[in-house]
Parts: sequence; structure tokens; C-alpha cells
Amino acid sequence: MAKIESVGKPARRVDALEKVLGTAKYVGDFRLVGMLHARALRSELPHARIMRLDVTPALTVSGVKAVITCADFVDNGLYGFPVKDKYMLAYQKTRYVGEAIAAVAADTPAAALAGVKAIICELEPLPVLADMTRALEPDAPQVGPVSTAGQHPNFLNNCPVRHGNVEAVWPECEVTLERHYTVPHQEHAYLETEGALAIPTPEGGVAVYCSCQSPFINQGYLVAALGLPSELVRSIQPPVGGAFGGKDDLNYESSAQTAALALKTGRPVRMTFAREESMVASYKRDAMHMDIKLGAKADGTLRACEFAGLLDSGAYASESPFTGWRASIHAMGAYRYEACQVDITSVYTNNGYAGAMRGFGNTEVCLGIEQAIDELADQIGLDPLEFRLKNCLRLGDETPHGQRLTESVGLTECLTRVRDMSDWTRKRREFTAHNSQSPIKKGIGVAALFHGVSLGAEGADAASSTIEVNGDNSITLTSGLTDYGQGSRTVFTLIAADELGVKPARINIHRPDTYTALDSGPTVASRSTVVGGNAAQVAARNLAQTIDYAAASLLGCELSQLVREGEAYVGPSEEPVSWDNVVSHARQMGLILSARGKWSAPPIEWHHEGWGTPYFTYHYGAQVVEVAVDMGTGKTEVVGVWAVHDVGKVIFPQGAFGQAYGGITQGLGYALWERIDYDNGYLQATNFDEYMIPTALDVPDIKVAFVENNFSAGPHGAKNLAEPVLVPTAPATLNAIAHAIGRHIRDLPANLERVLLGHDLSKPGSGTACKLGLWTAM
Amino acid sequence: MLINFTLNHKSVTIDAPPDITLLTLLRDYLGLTGTKEGCAIGECGACAVMLDGRLVNSCLTLAPQVSGRELVTIEGISQPDGRPNDLQENFIEYGAVQCGYCIPGMVLAGEALLKRNPNPTRQQIRRAISGNLCRCTGYQQIVDAIEATAKDRTAHAKS
Repeated sequence: MAKIESVGKPARRVDALEKVLGTAKYVGDFRLVGMLHARALRSELPHARIMRLDVTPALTVSGVKAVITCADFVDNGLYGFPVKDKYMLAYQKTRYVGEAIAAVAADTPAAALAGVKAIICELEPLPVLADMTRALEPDAPQVGPVSTAGQHPNFLNNCPVRHGNVEAVWPECEVTLERHYTVPHQEHAYLETEGALAIPTPEGGVAVYCSCQSPFINQGYLVAALGLPSELVRSIQPPVGGAFGGKDDLNYESSAQTAALALKTGRPVRMTFAREESMVASYKRDAMHMDIKLGAKADGTLRACEFAGLLDSGAYASESPFTGWRASIHAMGAYRYEACQVDITSVYTNNGYAGAMRGFGNTEVCLGIEQAIDELADQIGLDPLEFRLKNCLRLGDETPHGQRLTESVGLTECLTRVRDMSDWTRKRREFTAHNSQSPIKKGIGVAALFHGVSLGAEGADAASSTIEVNGDNSITLTSGLTDYGQGSRTVFTLIAADELGVKPARINIHRPDTYTALDSGPTVASRSTVVGGNAAQVAARNLAQTIDYAAASLLGCELSQLVREGEAYVGPSEEPVSWDNVVSHARQMGLILSARGKWSAPPIEWHHEGWGTPYFTYHYGAQVVEVAVDMGTGKTEVVGVWAVHDVGKVIFPQGAFGQAYGGITQGLGYALWERIDYDNGYLQATNFDEYMIPTALDVPDIKVAFVENNFSAGPHGAKNLAEPVLVPTAPATLNAIAHAIGRHIRDLPANLERVLLGHDLSKPGSGTACKLGLWTAM
Repeated sequence: MLINFTLNHKSVTIDAPPDITLLTLLRDYLGLTGTKEGCAIGECGACAVMLDGRLVNSCLTLAPQVSGRELVTIEGISQPDGRPNDLQENFIEYGAVQCGYCIPGMVLAGEALLKRNPNPTRQQIRRAISGNLCRCTGYQQIVDAIEATAKDRTAHAKS
């Protein structure tokens, strides 16, 4: 029997059982005696001054127990990171339709809604800024706060990348291309809407179960907004029904509102959103306009890229300053250039608000640059996949940021493998011949990507785990990072199990809880496996050392003489002793069977002039999409998707494939069906009858393969996966459509009209559904 | 009003208002929270249950409509001792679960399909779960799990 090795082998999700049985308790499933139901009054206007807010009539409504406004929070509940510009409840102004103004707690959801309706709230409409391209005009309506730096109030930030001198290179380029691309907002569409349950504690504090991504961020905001000492505020992570970046901002407001109401009433208070309320009030993936200029030699050697992006952050900054930064780093794509000039400018408008969503800026810019690369290849007369192979980043190259790539660069392998898996060369040739004779046009397209691992220059990047052997010799593991469906708890379990040489089933990994886990930063940026996985490994290694000492003592040998057979330890006498016996011996020796582990990411350095080492390493990948387009209707059928991604190392195969299938499916939705329109600030699609996410019939069986180009600082060599699998799907789809129909669609989604007619059909908008959505009964 | 029906193989009588949905009846009056609300307009299938063997959205069904009928929810799918049944087991085995919120509805959609078609093609499975939205998995491993269960059950029936 060999040492136990679970990493990379078939394994089961640690939380799958309770989910298939239906016993997993999401926030909306909790029932406590005396629990009140909370509801927020939300702005029906996209931009308004609050002239009068009288909540006392709500208190006369039967069943209503308390009402709060921003005055119930410290500093009116001002919060946000990296920009503090939003309030836990609106202060003086509302800047988007759906912004919370006051919150009511009542015995029933119906009483809470009646209470909200009874509140007297007089809003004076302010001019609405609906067009991001007008945001920085001198006379544009002012949405953002007055700038102390002399900037336009609607200016949020600018993220540049500077490499070489593009102006000097353009005249020498034998081929140039200039294009404009746009992407709309995207809704996360987590199946579980927002929710929080706050329970007042006997010591005067509050414990909050919040369906969020980062319980430590939640706790930090609660401490600040409620003015309580941190030891009186506990944030507990329940199962989360999907997030995709979308539960890292607005849910902290719901959390603060329920907490304030719980403290005011002395009773548990829960708030959950109807789908319409969620769609209207929640933030989206940002919309972006992109102007791209590329230059190359006649032989297809890329030389220069100029990329100007305008990002619509909507009413608040949320995480858009970081989204814009990640967008800037990836805007030119995974290629070598002599010169690059990138500027991503983020602005305020009254179009809802934008924040984090899977891919986080890279999804947006990849749609632009990967179409532009295809269009340039076409102009030069080169196969687009071979064009990418000729120019893509390889080991030893310097990126356009000035970073030398010294390890784990698997893009060439991703491209060649996806070419072979998809039968690219034959299809590319045969489809072109087929299409001249058929109303059903076939197309096959490719897109490549690189994606910086973890936070990069966004901030301090570390995570921690705790681990402990319990009285029954089971093991409890914690991480400060949240598993909202992606499978990180299983990943951490497998890594810790291998480090200890025990079966994964021995380990019980808790969901994060600020009372038991250690702060590990936000669960974002596909950082869990590499940062949290390393922390789990360090913690387990520390515990393993203690147990090894006990084993050596029991077996009367040196540490170096210990061998594992399954969980058992074997010494020079070759007589195995069980793990349980070793652990018992450790207790008799008085050893403490618990440990911690912290892992900090390798240092990075970014200069805000636009160069440096933005990330410590990168994920690489390439996807091919095959389509069949019906030129009678404009309908695009996705016939096949092939994806190859360099993830460093696959820790949990079942989970890795699941992430890829799911990410690609979200990418297909982004490419073809998902549509968020704001009409003068009013969201047009408020539920899944109008916002079309892919069903099982819309997607084909997807073929995925992984390249394992080990990253030396990753746990077992692992990098990341969750976001990058989504990033190239939409541009690969649009490139496939272009191959099929002979022209590019440069605006998402590629709906029937754009495919068939080449342009969108404008439809009259309305604020009705959006306003009604704010009053949907629960 | 009093509503009599068979719930997860047991006869129940419950006093509830006539104007609530079956979803509300299950979650708020019977405490069966395995059935989820995702959209409340019949688009997402998170609230799917089996009524007389057919898949229905409980958010679009009025509570009194179940009178005298046989209703199965996710709580009635597992084995009598509480362990997962073969389809649930395959959901775990094939990695069909991520966030888990759609899974009760998906399991019921799978069971409803296998009741009427014990040997479905992958495309028939996709059609059968096309009223159930999942944002995490891309459906592929859910299809795998239902397909494997169909094969296991068919093989078992033959032997």
C-alpha cells in the first residue's frame, strides 16, 4: 500500500450530499421563532434628490416592528472599496433605480411590503446621465461625487499600460486595422437571490448569515456601519446559491440593514429578494466601448496595439476601478508587441451600477481584442489560429507590461491541442467551401487568452487556514475563503489530506465564520486554489510535523525513517501503526494537535504610469467554437465547443471540468442571448422570461482538456481556473459567426437581427417593468 | 381551507389559505425547504416538484390544486433510511452539483423523465431539463448523471 494521494484523482464534492438531498440550508431556508422579515424601499427614479423622507407612517402599519434609514448608521453607512461612495441606505440622493432608501422589519413579508409602501418619500428628479460616452462632457449631468483632484465628477479612474512608442511604430506597420467593439452589461443570474439573516446576540452584538463572497469584508462593513467592536460582530457563511462576482457588494448592504433592524427590535431579521428586486437593485458586469488599433508586418508579425476602453460603472464605483485595471492589463491579448498603449477609463452614469463579474474586465476586453486579432489575420490572409501561434506569448518572452515570463506558459500547447481536438484545419477549409452553396452557414472560430492569477496589484494577497484533530480523530479544517459553488472546500480538503497522508473523508471543512476562520481577503479573482490552497497546505504541513514527531516517538526512529502505508505509519521495524494510534500517542506526549497556516503571494510591482509585474503568474487558454447559422432566421446554433486551458495542475478533476463547462456556458449566453438594456436608467429585463440565460438545449456537449504546466509557487503546481474558462468563449463564438456569414458582429449579444441584418432593431423602452419589479410580493 | 393529499408517500391534511402557491405551502406551511424559489414566474424550475408523476413548477401551482393527488418533493426522493437514491448518488458521482440551488428541481426533472422514458438519449435528457435553469454547471454533468442512472436502472431491470 502506498502513501495516500488524492490530489488530481477522482473525488467527490464535500458538500454534494446535502445539496442532492435538499437539506442544505440557504439563507431563505432558515426559520427562527420570532424572526422578522425585512424589505427595502427602493428608488423608482434613476437620479433624484431626497426632499422628504418620513418613515413614521410605516410604524403604524400592522405587523411593522421597525424602520431604519441612513441615519441609523455611523457616518450614514458610507462604505465601499476601493472608493467609499455608497451608503447602506441612500443619503440625500439616489443615483440609480433600485437604490435602497429605507428598510422595514415586520412580522410577515406582506406587512413589510405594506410598511415600505406607507413610507413618505418625496424624490425630486435630477437630470439623468444614460449615455456613458457623454459622461465626461462639461455639461453632462453630475452623477459622481465632486472631485478633489479637479477631475470631472463623472470620472472614476483611468488605467494605462505603456510599452514602447506606438506613434513611432505605426508608420512602419505594413498592415493596420482599426475597429470599434461594444459589450453590454451582463447579469450574474445566480439562482439564489440576495439574502441575509441577522440575529441579535445576548451580549449586544449581532451574528449575520449572509449569502456573500467574503464574510470578513461583511464583518468589516458591519463593524464600521453599526459602530460595534469587532468581537461583537460575527459573519457566518451559509451555503451560497451562486455568486460569480455578484455577491461581493450589494449583499453587504442587506447584511447591514438586517443587522441594524435586528439590533433595533431585538429579534432575528431576514431579508431575501424576489428575482425582480434582485435584477433591478443588483450590480452587473460593466458595459464597455472599445476602440482598438493593431499593426503588423505583412508576414503577420504583430507590432503594435492601441486600445482605448470606456467602462460604464453606473451609479457607484463598486469594484470597477479594479475591473478597469484588470481590463487594462489584458486588453492587448496574450501576444508580443513592440509597442502598446492602453487606456481604460471608467465613468459614472445612472445605468444601475456595475461591479465584479467572472472574468472581471478581461471578459470584456477579450471580446474586443480577440475579434480584432481575427480581423487582422483575415486582412493579412493568415489562418487565425496559426496567426495566434505565430504571435502568442511563450516561455522567456517579455509581456507588453515589461514582465519576463519565466515559467508555466502553456499557450502554444493550448492552441495546438485545441486545433487538433476540434479538427480545426479541415473544418476551416471545408466550411468555407460549404457555405457558398447552403442557407445554413457553418463557421468555426478561435480565441485565446491569458489571465493574471489572483489579485495582482489590487492589494495584499494572502490567505490562512486552521486545522485541528478532534476527539474522535476526525479533522476540522477552515479557510477564510468562501465556496459559493466553485468547489474550493473540496480543493482545500484534498490538498490538506495529501499533506497529512489521510483519507479526505477524515477531514470536515467548515464554511468560513469570522469567529473560527482567519481573514483571508476576498473570495474573488480565481484566487482560492492558489492562495487558499497554499494556506491549507501550510496548515496541514504544520500539523503533520507534530504527528510525525509522535509517530517517530512511537516507532522509536528518526523522522527521516518514517514511511506511510495508507494512513498508517511504518518505521524501520516495518510493523505499521495506525494513524489513530499515532494520534493517541501524540496526545499522551502532550502535543497540541492543531495548527495554522498562512500563505502570502509572491511580490508584484506595478507602476501607475503603466508598467511592471502586474501578476505573479498567468493562466493561458484557447477555445474553439463551431456554429451553424440559419440565414433564413439569423439563428445561431452552437454545434461544438472545445477548450484547452493551462491551469498548472488540476487538483479536483470533477470540479475543474464543471467549472469549465459552466464558464463556457455563461460565455455562450454573453455572446448570443443575454441582454441588459437600460432605457434612460430603467432596466428592461427583470426576470428570466426576458433575460435569457442558456438552457440545457442551448449548449452542446463541450470538450475540455487541461494543460498542466506547473507553477512552482502553486499548491502541487496549480494556478487558477474559474474565471478564465469563461473569458474566450464569446469572442470565439463571434469569430465562428464571422467565418460562417462573412462579416463580424462587433456588438453583443449576436442576436438574430445582428446576424441576419447586420444591425440591431431598436425597440421602445419603458420604465414600467423596472418600477413594478421593486414591489414584487415575496 | 383543509387540503388533503399524498406528500412523499404519506397522506397529509393541512389547513392553509386557498390563494397561496404550492411553493409557499411546501416551504412556509410544511417546512419543506428543499424546494427553492428562483424566479416565481415558472421560468427557472428551482421549485419543480412531481405531481402525479409529472414535473410541475410549484410557483405556478395553487396549493388547493394538489388536493387528492400525489406529490413528491426532493424530500421524498431519497431512500427510506435517508441515504441518496441512485440518481442523487450519480449527481454526486458525476460532479453535477456546484452551488446546489437548482439541484432539487434538477433531480425531480430527472426522475420525472426516467418515469416516462427509462432509456432517454442525451438530447431527450437535455429537453427534459430545459425548464430547469442552472447557472453553474453548463448542464453537462447533470446530463451525464441522468444518463448513467438510466443505463443502471435499465441494466438492473433486465437482470
